[in-house]
Amino acid sequence: MADKKIDVLIIGAGPAGVAAGIGAKREGAENVVVIERDWDLGGILQQCIDPGFGLRTFREELSGPEYMHRFIKQAHEAGVEFRPNTMVFQIDKDTNAVWTMNKERGIECLNPSAIVLAMGCRERPIGAIRIPGTRPAGIYTAGTAQRFISMEGYMPGKRAVILGSGDIGLGVARRMILEGAEVEGVYEVMTWPGGLRKNISYCLNDYGIPLHLQTTVTKIHGTDRLEGVTVAKVDDHMTPIKGTERFVQCDTLLLAIGLVPENELSRMAGIEIHKVTNGPVVNDLFQTSNPAVFAAGNVVIVYDLVDNVTDQGLITGSNAAKYALGKIPSNVKKIPVKAGDNVRLFTPQYITGESDTIIYMRVTHPIEGACKITAEPGLFSRRLKYSRPGEMDEVRIKAEQVRALGDNLKEIVIDIKPL
Amino acid sequence: MIEDRKFICASCTIGCELRVTLNSGEIVRVAGNACPRGETYARSEIKDPRRLFASTVRVTGGRLPVCPIRTKTPAPKEKIFDIAKEVAKLKIKAPVKIGQVLIHNVCGTDVDIVASRDLASA
Ligand SMILES: Cc1cc2nc3c(=O)[nH]c(=O)nc-3n(C[C@H](O)[C@H](O)[C@H](O)COP(=O)(O)OP(=O)(O)OC[C@H]3O[C@@H](n4cnc5c(N)ncnc54)[C@H](O)[C@@H]3O)c2cc1C
Ligand code: SF4
Repeated sequence: MADKKIDVLIIGAGPAGVAAGIGAKREGAENVVVIERDWDLGGILQQCIDPGFGLRTFREELSGPEYMHRFIKQAHEAGVEFRPNTMVFQIDKDTNAVWTMNKERGIECLNPSAIVLAMGCRERPIGAIRIPGTRPAGIYTAGTAQRFISMEGYMPGKRAVILGSGDIGLGVARRMILEGAEVEGVYEVMTWPGGLRKNISYCLNDYGIPLHLQTTVTKIHGTDRLEGVTVAKVDDHMTPIKGTERFVQCDTLLLAIGLVPENELSRMAGIEIHKVTNGPVVNDLFQTSNPAVFAAGNVVIVYDLVDNVTDQGLITGSNAAKYALGKIPSNVKKIPVKAGDNVRLFTPQYITGESDTIIYMRVTHPIEGACKITAEPGLFSRRLKYSRPGEMDEVRIKAEQVRALGDNLKEIVIDIKPL
Repeated sequence: MIEDRKFICASCTIGCELRVTLNSGEIVRVAGNACPRGETYARSEIKDPRRLFASTVRVTGGRLPVCPIRTKTPAPKEKIFDIAKEVAKLKIKAPVKIGQVLIHNVCGTDVDIVASRDLASA
């Protein structure tokens, strides 16, 4: 029996995919299907059990599962169909056919009118930083440790060293302490911490965990199980400084060294991937280089607030539905966004002027003090009290501003500069 | 006795470094705050510091061997490890409903421990 025609097919049931499902139904798409490889919905938020989510949306601090519970409920009510335990393993380049695999249903080929990529991101593994030494047991990414503890019920070790001071590194440090382990310290190669100051206070200072800036792990010791690591200070070029090495005894090394959008499927589908964000190049409708394929959430760029992921997911789902219903013109404008020197990454890369837009961006170096965020020519300007790499900044552009400038608008330049 | 305490203000993302001067436990000066909320935060952090606490409890017969839990409201900071120990003793049976109260008034804090996800039976 052939399936009913799917209007919008969404890959991944994390916050982005669930929101996209809600957005697509609200826009009037009939058949909206979300494919998820895990047995349960919610994505990475299932394992983020510390309250801290949704402050902006719900005015209360929810844990990851609680936050997702609310949106999954909304999606069910809206009539979104979920297919868990199902993996998308291929998207065909020319036909946009989506191939899925599931134990009961076997291999299926789906031909939706529009696709939303919402596969999230992955943690950078140890191979990404080439630490010399051995490769004993006891080295995990922070997210793996988080999953072991919070979903599978066992501890990765007794005495941990944590590399990376982003919010994930800080959170896992606290988790280890609260579950009865020791944390020798958190090490960060940069001169500034990656995570929010609130998290430094609540995850480290509350428990007396030291944070060592401009310091990294230079060697791993141990044959079967990790026995310790060598840490050393680094200079301004991030080269370890001789004579500063110190041996730290530990049985666990947790890596919180960054996230990379998960885009194997997107590449397979021939979608253009941005060199810096590692996510699809998108316009402000979240449409990729393939007009029938949209992308939402951490698969596009690593966001820091799940609230933003949800917001963008809702918009993406609604645009995908519009596309499926033939409501998006094929000749939308493509005004490129360019960035100034201290902007490390941003999304979207193109503006269509079809709707109001938020450009999210991240600085390379922190600016501690008043600064100005701008979009030229004269589209946006706002004073900020500071700008830090761990917290995205936003530029807001209205569709009518873009329309008013007409063909004179050749490109948009965004920048953040100290005042 | 004069005592100086330093901590980060968690009331907004700026995260000012607060310096609080205490005289025999009473606050005599708050410095480092860029706005009045910093002073309010400093006072509550000295008088009655509280934190939300989360962990997991063992579950029998569930889709997962553990279920995440949290304090429904912030608990006194100095009781966090007592609460952690109390929670570690708990074993519950699936199915679990999100928001279900698992411990009333944990460690005499007036704070409840609730399940923070639905967990179906295996
Ligand atoms: C370890 C870790 C901890 C984090 N902690 C926080 C935090 O505390 N606070 C915060 O705001 N953000 C945190 N983040 C960032 C977090 O990723 C985002 O806030 C948010 O979860 C992103 O949502 P998403 O829907 O884009 O991705 P995800 O939540 O990752 O969801 C992607 C979903 O797609 C599914 N999927 C992927 N590929 C396929 C496929 N081929 N077929 C079928 N399904 C597929 C996955 O199984 C997953 O369920 C964390 C990220 C990681 C990796
Ligand atoms: S003192 Fe004011 S500005 Fe500074 S962190 Fe606290 S709330 Fe923010």
